Amino acid sequence: MSLSLTRRVLKGALGPPANDSRFLLDPHRRDLPGEDTMARYPDSEEVDLCVVGAGAGGSVLAQRLARQGWKVVVLEAGPFWHPDEDWVSDEAGSHHLYWTQKRIIGGADPIEMGKNNSGRGVGGSMVHYAGYCPRFHPSDFATRTLDGVGADWPLSYDELRPHYELVERELPVAGQDWPWPEPHSYPYSPHPVSQAASVLWQGALKLGIQMRVGPVGITNGVFGNRPHCIYRGYCLQGCKVNAKASPYVTHLPDALAHGVEVRAGCMASRVELDESGRARGVVYLREDDPATPRLQRAKVVAVACYSIETPRLLLNSASPSFPNGLCNNEDQVGRYVMVQGASQTAGRFPEELRMYKAPPPEISSEDFYETDESRGFARGFSIQTVSPLPIGWAEHVLADGHWGRALREYMRDYNHWTTVGVLNELLPLPENRVTLAEEKDQYGLPVARFDYSQCDNDRANIEYSTRVITDILQAAGAQDILTIHRYAHLIGGARMGTSPDNSVVDAHQRTWAVPNLYLADGSVCPTQGSANPALTIMALASRLAEHLGGRRPG
Amino acid sequence: MAGFLRRARGAAGKAVDLSSGHHLPNLRPGKQPPDPSWLPRQRRGTTPQMVGRYPDYDVFDARDTWDEATTRVVEERMAVESGGPLSFFREDEAATLRAFCDTCTAQDSDPRVPVAELVDQKLAKGQLDGYQYYDMPDDRDTWHLVLAGLDEVARSRYGKEGFGALDAEAREALVGQLAAGALSSASLDRLNVKRAWSVCMRMILSAFYSHPFAWNEIGFGGPAYPRGYMRLGPVSTREPFERPGATSEDPVRVAPELEG
Ligand SMILES: Cc1cc2nc3c(=O)[nH]c(=O)nc-3n(C[C@H](O)[C@H](O)[C@H](O)COP(=O)(O)OP(=O)(O)OC[C@H]3O[C@@H](n4cnc5c(N)ncnc54)[C@H](O)[C@@H]3O)c2cc1C
Ligand code: SF4
Repeated sequence: MSLSLTRRVLKGALGPPANDSRFLLDPHRRDLPGEDTMARYPDSEEVDLCVVGAGAGGSVLAQRLARQGWKVVVLEAGPFWHPDEDWVSDEAGSHHLYWTQKRIIGGADPIEMGKNNSGRGVGGSMVHYAGYCPRFHPSDFATRTLDGVGADWPLSYDELRPHYELVERELPVAGQDWPWPEPHSYPYSPHPVSQAASVLWQGALKLGIQMRVGPVGITNGVFGNRPHCIYRGYCLQGCKVNAKASPYVTHLPDALAHGVEVRAGCMASRVELDESGRARGVVYLREDDPATPRLQRAKVVAVACYSIETPRLLLNSASPSFPNGLCNNEDQVGRYVMVQGASQTAGRFPEELRMYKAPPPEISSEDFYETDESRGFARGFSIQTVSPLPIGWAEHVLADGHWGRALREYMRDYNHWTTVGVLNELLPLPENRVTLAEEKDQYGLPVARFDYSQCDNDRANIEYSTRVITDILQAAGAQDILTIHRYAHLIGGARMGTSPDNSVVDAHQRTWAVPNLYLADGSVCPTQGSANPALTIMALASRLAEHLGGRRPG
Repeated sequence: MAGFLRRARGAAGKAVDLSSGHHLPNLRPGKQPPDPSWLPRQRRGTTPQMVGRYPDYDVFDARDTWDEATTRVVEERMAVESGGPLSFFREDEAATLRAFCDTCTAQDSDPRVPVAELVDQKLAKGQLDGYQYYDMPDDRDTWHLVLAGLDEVARSRYGKEGFGALDAEAREALVGQLAAGALSSASLDRLNVKRAWSVCMRMILSAFYSHPFAWNEIGFGGPAYPRGYMRLGPVSTREPFERPGATSEDPVRVAPELEG
């Protein structure tokens, strides 16, 4: 039997190799097992690898290399979660999961940060991400060549495919057989579809738009000691069930079991170089003793703080040889930060749909993903169902211009609504950039300023896609429609490329400027397609680990 | 009986048919909702102003299915009292703050969700959203300036000592202009008014809809761990603890109770 046929027949019975996280978890408690017994390295010990950021990219890299015998310390600014006590089934009560340290936003179309963009704590942003886990398309890696926009990656989809397949088994991803872009199947079967999403599906069918269930990193059936999803709908508030994939459950248990130390409450303030220009280690400040800078020495340093904080850390690491910030002598650090357009349209139906039930990510379509010149813009968008809880729904109603009595009326009607969203590929532009602001954070470090402006192609894409989802609702028979224009998913800011004058890192995510410094997160992506980025960020980290694996520093 | 008739009929004097959606502001002349008096009287649980669409629903009925951590968070919220002490806002801001929060959320009588007090708590703890527009001050300063601005306009335009002293109609007019970015005063001119509106509303709405009273009003299932949901579909499927929304027939069912 071919590998893909085997996967289709055996589904979840085929676990991932070389990752025991699912068995290490406790079926009755949600704590990351091994916190008490985890390795502890003194600052003075030169470890093999110091990773900054225990999120999607950093965790995968740490887990992989620990399995190869590397001594790894992960510095994480946020807390070491104890989900049974720290996470709640409550929207407002989940505020502490987000990166809410101040950021200044500017440009013609400033991007509102906070809950919608990034997390802070062990597990990173995936602790409260929605759970969609699509792959990028092959075309995403060559948009400059194919469509004359964006940038080509210095690697191809084919090079990432084996890592996509591996990570999909580790999460594990559940979904229907996927027709886009090259047909593939998922290790777990699709979840049942909720009443709210089924109405949208009907609308799409009428218009001839193909939708498929998934792909989501949510268990459908048990997976080791991870239980089945209970469809409670709080994925964006942190999964208290361990059903939704995040590094906290998918990679960090195995990492800790293989000697990784995750040092939480430690804010990296700069990457320090030695006289020869190599990274000596990472200077960090402990939340409980912020006045005492400490240096964790390491043979290799990997920064994985995501698209705003990775550039910020580099810019904050200026030195005489890098007066404008580490790796920034070519003025590339912080540029080409991207977001995706994430407009959402809600429709009202006579029946009760109760969209708060089931995970917000349910069904999606990549029919509009590729460039179609007749639409009048390059690249495209995907369509995904979402389902705001009451506070999210209130923001949606407000965005349509309602407050006071009108808002209360729409809010009381909550159970009759269903919501569909898009993800537009917005193009990478050099002026969309992270710089340092005057303002300082609680540690006295300059905070990031993020300027963002759309180009005409972006606006045309957003407008067109909003019409498509509105049409879906109308075809489904919606009686009233409310729209909110918003943005999601950060990518870029320290992209990979072919030379130092067009990028910060090479095809193996090694910085051009410092030979033992790597970037291992979403900041390295030159484009972002219309796919949610977490799976790709993990696959890239997995590929980076494979590259580094055989070369344990001597 | 007169009360019942008033409840069963919308402002236009016609019975409101829920399935048609004719109560929705966008589908009505002037985009204004019917007076909430068409809504059934709440029989179980508390809702803000005792209006709601799920007269027999109380999210607390399922309290024994909530996990401890969530229960603690919700109970702390319930312990906050409307009209209670403020710690971030000054004494002289209290009346304006309360009037502003009430107007934005259409709370004109008790029982109320303690929006002002919940906002005050968040600001006192410095729980901000993590971003600040380049042309705006810190969110905490924005709040002070917006309240001062509302008072300034109340004085200059209506000759009252503050926003809190205005009648409901004047308050709504001012808030409408604030929402449109069209209000101007010494304090407001230091802000990008549209962005200031969004800063305040984000916090106000997140306070209001974090409260179980509001969940009762809109028929939201509330905390759902470890219970979860079993019945995802087909359309109009309910869990045993979920209650149907009031429909156009509903007042008939309510009638004997209202009279009895
Ligand atoms: C609400 C929401 C919904 C989302 N939905 C989806 C989805 O459905 N599908 C999808 O694919 N993606 C989704 N995403 C995006 C996805 O979560 C991110 O793209 C991904 O987690 C980024 O991975 P990363 O490794 O680059 O960074 P992160 O996972 O964010 O990890 C970075 C870590 O670094 C830490 N850190 C930062 N600076 C420092 C410092 N100086 N010192 C120490 N530590 C530091 C942070 O605290 C954080 O833990 C969503 C995100 C959000 C917020
Ligand atoms: S819906 Fe499923 S995946 Fe989402 S939080 Fe609940 S149990 Fe976790």
